[in-house]
Amino acid sequence: MRRVLQSMRDGIGFDTMLVILTLSYLLVFAGLPLIYNVVISFQTVDVFSLGTLMHPSAGVENYVDIFEDRQAETVLRNTIIFTLGSVALQFTLGFALALFFHQNFTGATWIRGLFLAGWVMPGLVVGVLWNWLLSGDFGVVNYVLDGLGLIDEPVFWRSNPETSLYSVLIANVWYGTPFNMILLAVGLSQIPEDLYEAAELDGANAFQRFWTITLPMMRATIGAVIALGTIFTLQQFDLFAAITQGGPAGSSTVAQYWSWELSFREFDFGRGAVISVLMIIVVLIVSLIYVRSTKAETQL
Amino acid sequence: MSRFIATSALALTIGASAAMAQDVTLTLWTESATAPEGIFAQEFSEMDNGITIDVREIRFDDLVTDTLRAFATGTNPDLIAIDNPDHAAFASRGAFLDITDMVAGSDVIEIDRVFPGPRSSLSWDDRIFGIPRASNTIALYYNKDMFRAAGLDPDNPPSTWDELLAAARTLNDPANNVYGIAFSARASEEGTFQFLPWAQMAGGTFDNINAEGVADALELWNTFLSEGLASPDTLTRGQWDSTGTFNGGNAAMAISGPWELGRMASDADFDWGVTLLPVRAEGGERASALGDFNLAIFANTDHPDAAFAYLEYFWSQAHRIWPEFTRMPAIEGVELAPTGDARIDAAAAVFAEQLRYARNRGPHPEWPRISQRIQGAFQSVLTGQEEPQAALDRAAEEIDEILN
Repeated sequence: MRRVLQSMRDGIGFDTMLVILTLSYLLVFAGLPLIYNVVISFQTVDVFSLGTLMHPSAGVENYVDIFEDRQAETVLRNTIIFTLGSVALQFTLGFALALFFHQNFTGATWIRGLFLAGWVMPGLVVGVLWNWLLSGDFGVVNYVLDGLGLIDEPVFWRSNPETSLYSVLIANVWYGTPFNMILLAVGLSQIPEDLYEAAELDGANAFQRFWTITLPMMRATIGAVIALGTIFTLQQFDLFAAITQGGPAGSSTVAQYWSWELSFREFDFGRGAVISVLMIIVVLIVSLIYVRSTKAETQL
Repeated sequence: MSRFIATSALALTIGASAAMAQDVTLTLWTESATAPEGIFAQEFSEMDNGITIDVREIRFDDLVTDTLRAFATGTNPDLIAIDNPDHAAFASRGAFLDITDMVAGSDVIEIDRVFPGPRSSLSWDDRIFGIPRASNTIALYYNKDMFRAAGLDPDNPPSTWDELLAAARTLNDPANNVYGIAFSARASEEGTFQFLPWAQMAGGTFDNINAEGVADALELWNTFLSEGLASPDTLTRGQWDSTGTFNGGNAAMAISGPWELGRMASDADFDWGVTLLPVRAEGGERASALGDFNLAIFANTDHPDAAFAYLEYFWSQAHRIWPEFTRMPAIEGVELAPTGDARIDAAAAVFAEQLRYARNRGPHPEWPRISQRIQGAFQSVLTGQEEPQAALDRAAEEIDEILN
C-alpha cells in the first residue's frame, strides 16, 4: 500500500493515473457517443424509440438510402465547394491580414485585436446579420455593388439557386478569417528576425524571403490552420440555419445541414447518423494531418 | 355581464371541487408564458384549489425536439401547448392522454363546439387528445391607397385567382420598389402552411397533392415569381418578414394571418383591408390554412384530474382569447369583442369567416416528412428546376411511400 502511494506521488503511478483519467474522460464523453452514432447508423430509430437502448436493425439500408437519395449528389458537391472555398479564402485572406499587421505600424496590434470582434460573435447572430446584408430588395451588399456600378439589377443572393451556397460561403469566409489571421500572426511572430536580416544581406528580395523563409518556417502553423479551418467549416451549421435553411430547393444544403434535417426535422435518426459517420471519417483524416503538423512543430 | 357571472361561478366550482384533493404541482411547457395558456395557468394556480402549475417557456423551434427528448427519458411535463400539425405524432403513439371520456363527463367542455379543422387536429382514431388553444388562418391583406392610385376598387378586392393575378400585375411597380404581392414560399412549415390552401382550393389534399388542378395553383405561384410580381426572396423569407414589406409600402398585397394585425395597425401608415383568400374560379371551393396550438395532457402524468381541471378552466376563459390576446377562438359561438380599432374589428370578421374554411394539416404522425415533400415540390418549380405537374407527381409518389 505504501509503495502504491509512494509511486502516486512521484513516478510511474502518477503518470498512469493521468493517462487513465484522460482516457476514461475521452472514452465517456467522446468515444461512447461516437460509437453510439455508428451503431444507430445501422438501425431504424425514430423519436419514440430514441430513448430505448435497443432498436431494430436496418442493416446497410440507411447507407443505401442516403447514397440513392436524389439530394446526395448536390449535397456532396455543395459540401466540397463550401469546404474548399471557405478554407482557401479564409486562409488566403487571413494570411494576407497577418502579414499586413506584421508590418507593426502604429496601432497594428490594436486594430488586429478589433478584427477578432467578428469571430467572437455567435454564429446565429452573424447569420442574421448576413441575412440582412444579402437580402435582395434592400440588402446593403446590393446597394454597394450597385453604387460601384458592378450590377444593374439586384442579385437575390439567398433565393437564387445559383448563388445561395455562395451567400453562406461569403458569410463563412468573413466569419472565419479573423481566426486564421490570429493563428498565422502567432506563427509569423515566432520566426526569428535575424533569419530575415541574414537573407537580406545575402541579397534575397521580399518575395524570395517569403518563399524560402516564411513559408517553410510556418509549415506547422499552416497545417494546423488549414486542418482546424476544415473542421470548423464542416461544423458550420448556424449560418445555414440563419441565411438559406439549405434552400431554395435544397440548392445550398451541405452534409452537416442535411444530417440535422434528417434527424431533427424528419426524425429519422438512423439516416441522420449515416451522414455524421461519413463526416467523422473525413474529419479523422483531416485530424491526422493536423496531428502530423503539430508533431512537426514540436520537432522544430 | 351574465357571462362574467357564469364564468366566475364556474371558476369557483372548479376551485371548490379540486380543493378536496391534496396539493399538486403540474408542469406546463409552452412557447410563451404570456400566451393565453401561460396567463390562465397563473390565474389557475392563484385560485384556492390546491393545484399549482409551473409554466416553462421553450423556444418555438425547440419545442417539439425538447419535448420528444424529455418524453424519451420520462421527464416530460404534465401539460403541453403544441403546434397543431405536431399533435398527431404524439397522440398516435400514446404519448397524450385520451380525454374522450373525461370530456364526455365534463360540464364545462363542449367539444362539439370546436370547429372541424381544430377538431381534426386534436383527434386520432375518433378519440380526443386535447383542446384547442386558439386558431389562426391566412387571408389576403391589401393596401387600399394603392388600389385607389392604380384605379382599382378598394371595396371590391380580388375574389378569384385571375382577379388576384390581374391586380398583382396592375399594382406591381418596380420603379417605386413596390411588388404586387408578398407571401412566403420558404422551405419550412410556413411554406407548407401557405401553399396547401391553394392546392386545396384546386381540389388537392396532402395525400393527393398531384390532383388535377394543383398544378394550376403552383403555376399561379410560379407566375408571381417569374413575372417579378413577388420578391425572389419570397423563397427564403418567412411570413412575418414578408408582411413587413407590405407594412413598409413595398408590396401592395400580402397573404398572412391575424397575428399581423397588432403590428400592422401601428406600422402601416396607409389604409388597409383584409379579404378572403381568392378562389380558383367564381363560386369555387374555399380553403385556408389552420394554425395555432392545442393543449394536451401527457398520458404518463400522475395527476390527470388536476390537469383536466386546468383544461376546463382554460375552456371557460375562451371569450378572453380575442380581446386580450388577439387570437381567434377555435370554438363556435364565441363572439369577437370589439377591440376599439375599426380596421382590426373589420379584419376580425373576415378572419372569423375564413376560419370556417380552414383545414388541418394532416393529421398524420409523419407530418414533418410529408410537409417536407410538399416544400420540395413548390421550391423546385419556383426555382425553375421542374415543371409543376412533374414536381407534384414526384412529391405525391414520395408521400405515398411515407403513408404506406
